[in-house]
Amino acid sequence: MVKEPILISATAHYSMGGIPTNIRGQVRKNRDELVEGFYAAGECACVSVHGANRLGANSVLEALFFGRHVGKEMVKDIDNLDFGEVSEADAYNMVQEINYILRNNGIESVSKIRDELQESMTENAGVFRTEETLKKQLEILDSLRKRFKHIRIEDKSRLFNTELQEAIELGHMLDYAKFIVEGALFRKESRGSHYREDYPKRDDENFLKHTLAYMDKDGNISIETMDVTLGKFEVKERVY
Amino acid sequence: MEKSIQTKNITVKVFRFNGDTDVLPYYKEYKLEVSQEDVVLDVLNRIKWEHSGSLSYRRSCRHGICGSCAVKVNNKGVLACKERVFDLIDLFGDELVIDPLNKQRVIKDLVIDKKDFWDKYDAVQPYLVADVEEEPEKENLVTPDEVEKIADADYCIQCGACYYSCPVIEVNPEFIGPAAFAKAYRFTSDNRDDAKIERLETVSQMGSGVWDCVKCFECAQVCPKDVNPIDKITRLHQQTFQEGVAESNVATRHAVGFKHSIEQHGFLDEGGLVFYSEGPLGMVQHIPEAVNMFKNGKIPMPWNLPKSKNLEEIKKIVKISSTAKF
Repeated sequence: MVKEPILISATAHYSMGGIPTNIRGQVRKNRDELVEGFYAAGECACVSVHGANRLGANSVLEALFFGRHVGKEMVKDIDNLDFGEVSEADAYNMVQEINYILRNNGIESVSKIRDELQESMTENAGVFRTEETLKKQLEILDSLRKRFKHIRIEDKSRLFNTELQEAIELGHMLDYAKFIVEGALFRKESRGSHYREDYPKRDDENFLKHTLAYMDKDGNISIETMDVTLGKFEVKERVY
Repeated sequence: MEKSIQTKNITVKVFRFNGDTDVLPYYKEYKLEVSQEDVVLDVLNRIKWEHSGSLSYRRSCRHGICGSCAVKVNNKGVLACKERVFDLIDLFGDELVIDPLNKQRVIKDLVIDKKDFWDKYDAVQPYLVADVEEEPEKENLVTPDEVEKIADADYCIQCGACYYSCPVIEVNPEFIGPAAFAKAYRFTSDNRDDAKIERLETVSQMGSGVWDCVKCFECAQVCPKDVNPIDKITRLHQQTFQEGVAESNVATRHAVGFKHSIEQHGFLDEGGLVFYSEGPLGMVQHIPEAVNMFKNGKIPMPWNLPKSKNLEEIKKIVKISSTAKF
């Protein structure tokens, strides 16, 4: 038999967690309130049907069932919903994000920052993480976020600009990475796919709860928790 | 024996054109070291991420399922995320030219406007037409034999590699094309579908339909998912007869003419075939070719036509298997 090396790498296959919703797909503003008229379904959403680990093939539940279910719920609600108030300033936020990337004349490259983000997240915030690696990753993220402000893209056109798209995506990935790391730091236990080598046991007393994380304008994250509604299955240790 | 990862140095010339700023398209040359692991998409990504961020191409899934990234390399239609660069080097050497699937439809660099492809795709109703209960209480059973008929037609990812490699499309913009024909077959062979006849009528029109396929097999050659569109086109030919949709015209009579010839002689009678499909006038038009063929010993005189020894049996087989009504 001929043995040949093959290249392998970790890839983001699925995101556990996401935009928190209730079972009707209404987005939660916080523990107690909903955002009126805002719904989420599919892989972006977190209805919390999976617990701390989504098992193989079960994302079909979100992709198929909740797409249909939430759509029907929206139809029920729509007659009682008014248009929210929207200001020109709200729209300008998005325009500004695009214009900043198009016009910024820095020295950093999107693909380099993205490579560093991917490699460091795999290394420090992958399945196995510790307080030490996560804190280190927070510092790396802060530095990458600063560098992101100094990117420059070559393509300035408004026609099929995939370079602009990649840059916008990177900005969002940098935000999202911070949620992952802060959430992992907060949870001083191991549960589902989250394995803290410094806290290898599950701790129901302190952490049988959802994490709700908020980012402020300066990119700082604050954390709240929400009670878990347990169904007919009791929480058990994973033994396989 | 253990091996290390091999690399090769190549020159890649990429088609560049930005409709916003360029008057004419041009080729830009990049020199790269590629490994045996690299597929064409890796080459494009490296050019975009390391050399020229403005290089534009469609891509999404990176594992041959979304159909976004089809391009042409040295004029061969390929799915960029599936085609290994080393295989292309074996075929074409160390200089690769990457083009969009169709240069006339370029929006930017390798990104083309696939509207013509999608319009034709829509024309065959590429979805199940059936009265399905919204909340059914039991499954719609399909037997393994029935699934077998759909064959590989269901694997199409709409990448467009076959469509933009089809020589008929180049000269006949009406032609529906291999991808949409394969999709039509996917539903005409589905026992749950109720629009079989309608679809067969759409795909059997003269000019746009299956009879205008020139059977070059390019679609089967380029398809990254082994859908084998020409095989589906042939099956559609058969279905138009089986379902009584085939109308008598020069194309269908050409097909049926083969059957008549075999039925009468057990051999192909080319003169008789022309007479049956094109009529006496067509016969006259082909006289110069016939003379030439006769001179070269390619056809016998009608009175010298050989007959197959087992003609009676052949006739029986034709009789029980034919679905043609003319």
